[in-house]
Amino acid sequence: MIGLFAVFRDEFRRIFAHRPAFSILVGAAVIYAAFYPQPYLNEALRNVPIAVVDADGTTLSRELARRVDATPDIAVTMVLPDLVSAEREVYAHRISGILAIPKNFERDLLHGRASPIALYADASYFLMYQRVSGGVVAVTGTLGSEVETSRLIGIGVDPVLARAASNPLQLTAVPLFNPEGGYATYVLPAAFVLILQQTLLIGVGLLGTLPRAELAPGLTDDAPPRPAATVAGKMLAYLLLEAIILPLYLIALPHFYGLPRLGGVIPVLIFAVPFVLSVSGLGLVVAAIFRDPLTVQLALAAVALPFFFLAGFSWPIDAIPRAVHVVSLLLPSTSAIAGFTRLAQLGAPLADVRGEFLMLWGLTIFYGGIVWILEVRRRRPGRRNAGIAVA
Amino acid sequence: MLPRRELRPGFWLVFWREFTWLRRRPFLLALTTIVPLSLMALLTMVFSAGLATRLPIAVLDLDSSDLSRSLIRMVDATPDTAVAVRVGELAEGRHMILSGRVDGLLMLPRNLERDVVAGRRPEVVFFYNTQTLTIGNLVLRGVNAAVPTAAAGIRLSLRTAQGQPIEEARAALSPTPVQAHALFNPTLNYVYFLLAALLPSVLQIVIVTTSAYSLGMDVETHYRLRILRWLGRGLWPAMAGKVVPYTILFLMVLGLSDAVLFGILGLPLRGRGWLLLIADVLFILSCQFIGVLLALLLKPMASAVSIGTLLTSPAFGFMGIGFPRLGMNAFAYGFGAILPGTWYLIARIDQTIRGTPLDLSWKPILVLLAFVVVLAGLTALWLEAIRVRPVREAGNRPPKILSEAI
Repeated sequence: MIGLFAVFRDEFRRIFAHRPAFSILVGAAVIYAAFYPQPYLNEALRNVPIAVVDADGTTLSRELARRVDATPDIAVTMVLPDLVSAEREVYAHRISGILAIPKNFERDLLHGRASPIALYADASYFLMYQRVSGGVVAVTGTLGSEVETSRLIGIGVDPVLARAASNPLQLTAVPLFNPEGGYATYVLPAAFVLILQQTLLIGVGLLGTLPRAELAPGLTDDAPPRPAATVAGKMLAYLLLEAIILPLYLIALPHFYGLPRLGGVIPVLIFAVPFVLSVSGLGLVVAAIFRDPLTVQLALAAVALPFFFLAGFSWPIDAIPRAVHVVSLLLPSTSAIAGFTRLAQLGAPLADVRGEFLMLWGLTIFYGGIVWILEVRRRRPGRRNAGIAVA
Repeated sequence: MLPRRELRPGFWLVFWREFTWLRRRPFLLALTTIVPLSLMALLTMVFSAGLATRLPIAVLDLDSSDLSRSLIRMVDATPDTAVAVRVGELAEGRHMILSGRVDGLLMLPRNLERDVVAGRRPEVVFFYNTQTLTIGNLVLRGVNAAVPTAAAGIRLSLRTAQGQPIEEARAALSPTPVQAHALFNPTLNYVYFLLAALLPSVLQIVIVTTSAYSLGMDVETHYRLRILRWLGRGLWPAMAGKVVPYTILFLMVLGLSDAVLFGILGLPLRGRGWLLLIADVLFILSCQFIGVLLALLLKPMASAVSIGTLLTSPAFGFMGIGFPRLGMNAFAYGFGAILPGTWYLIARIDQTIRGTPLDLSWKPILVLLAFVVVLAGLTALWLEAIRVRPVREAGNRPPKILSEAI
């Protein structure tokens, strides 16, 4: 127990003593907190520019264009004479859609015929496409039922019945948890978990590979602490550090950026314990594999992007090949992103993330066990002198 | 063993020396090839389906009528959604959403059919999870398509019941139908949209960090930069000899991932291949020079690698694929503008799915060219500036160390 405490104290000291490790674990975390959210802070994409090609030029066609322009999603920035010139503007990235109103639009409507309009929306950027098509479809839908209702009233149908006939079954869509459909609210809670994993992983990897200058008291070569105490002591030191950083990241930061959240603080903190321990364990395994601080940094530099999409958060797990998903469960982030977002954003009780919670404990034992075995092997006679130096 | 012996100082000497280094340092070789290729392969597997279909939703059917059953069938039949569970009450549905088993809950109220027939306009409610924005939008799209189809059937029968001829009734259902065309990616395939952009983003991180590393090894030791210069017989050949071997390697990596994208996953190449190749080379060179400059300006090399990672690993968000740059604040817009990846992805999207006309294709490529010119110029200036000092201090090194360095 004394050995464990000595390792714990020594490792915690090393976090602050080693500049590279400190600048990743604390410095990078601080910088990312300010830097990473910047693209998303406006939350919603508004006023996507489109062009109107109005071949009709009547009161009604202008009314349609005006209503489309009035939606928060779309701004009609150009009125162009033909589709060819509008297409060029799309190619030049100046507009993201073309609303084409055909000739005789108004006349057909007044004569009770269907009067189709065409929308060409740029699908090379999905969010633009979604805004443009969603906005136009909503406007034309409303216009369509107005026209239909007034026609029915015109042929003598009771107004109440007329409205029912044009829309007999209302669909009310209720967005849960992120009612504004904000992009920051969507992406940041998951990204923050991933940033924590990435900084902790590299930080622990660096601490595990950086040469140590001198042994702390209680860690003398003659009576080294038992392997289990060494592993547990280190992991507890990282847990103490993250006990400060993680609440800032997962509770204070979302609050600071005004992200709506329903969950309480306590479940998040309870869930965080196996998350931090499993990432620490993985970090120590990474250190044992790469054995050199620079190697750790270079090898882990680009992994965050694939890890994010493996988590089933922005791309559904059902669409990920089964085998890939099963292997991805070895990464703490896969379970952690699912668990943290449901606890914090959806306000799920701990019972609803039981699977993820147990998975993270399983990974803690798995990686902790690997590190323990490596530590035991390292202590074997004959390797002892070489081993301590890189501990 | 190598043509090196016959080579006189110049571009080729530095060029072959770099390949020898790569052979002696399997880690550096792995870092420039196997690491990016495996990360790209991983992403490719994740998105290999291209479309996310049959996302699970729950249904709470309080009516149990013919109408409610046919609604459920229609929702289940759309490509986007699948009715995974029937729940008995709202609380159960809520629990299904919170535990992540379904992405939405469709509630069909009591007396739905009776109220429809009586013209009371009952309300069908769909609760969906927008915390996961993409998935939430997909399930909404499914329900949004299914319910109006069901409603159209009802409207038609309401009208024919009033004595309207069926053809006329059908035309009257939708007075202003919208023919929506999704330009450039009609099936809204995520391979063409997201994966095709993610792969170069992974490469951007790898190029910047490994370039900082490989040049860093020359900068770390005091005399090596000068040796490099001597070997290359001048600044420019030395720089080119140092940079080009990696350009070739990264081009091969990018080419391999593009071969999978174009060949297996069917990414269209509607623009010009040669233009895309120019953009590839300029993109790789700009990323390399960012790494080179970081290694020159920041010491020790570990901090150059750290700063390189810090700048490029969150870069994907700034490049405007998921959330377009149009909606960003000034800082994010500006930072996006100084990333080579932002312009490369524009050029890439232009030449692949969009098939942009030639005269409108040049802007992103010229910006990339400007990056290369400016970054290479800065590198050369900096190398000139630091040469003056140490040469005066130490003079030229004897050839003995030279042979060690090669």
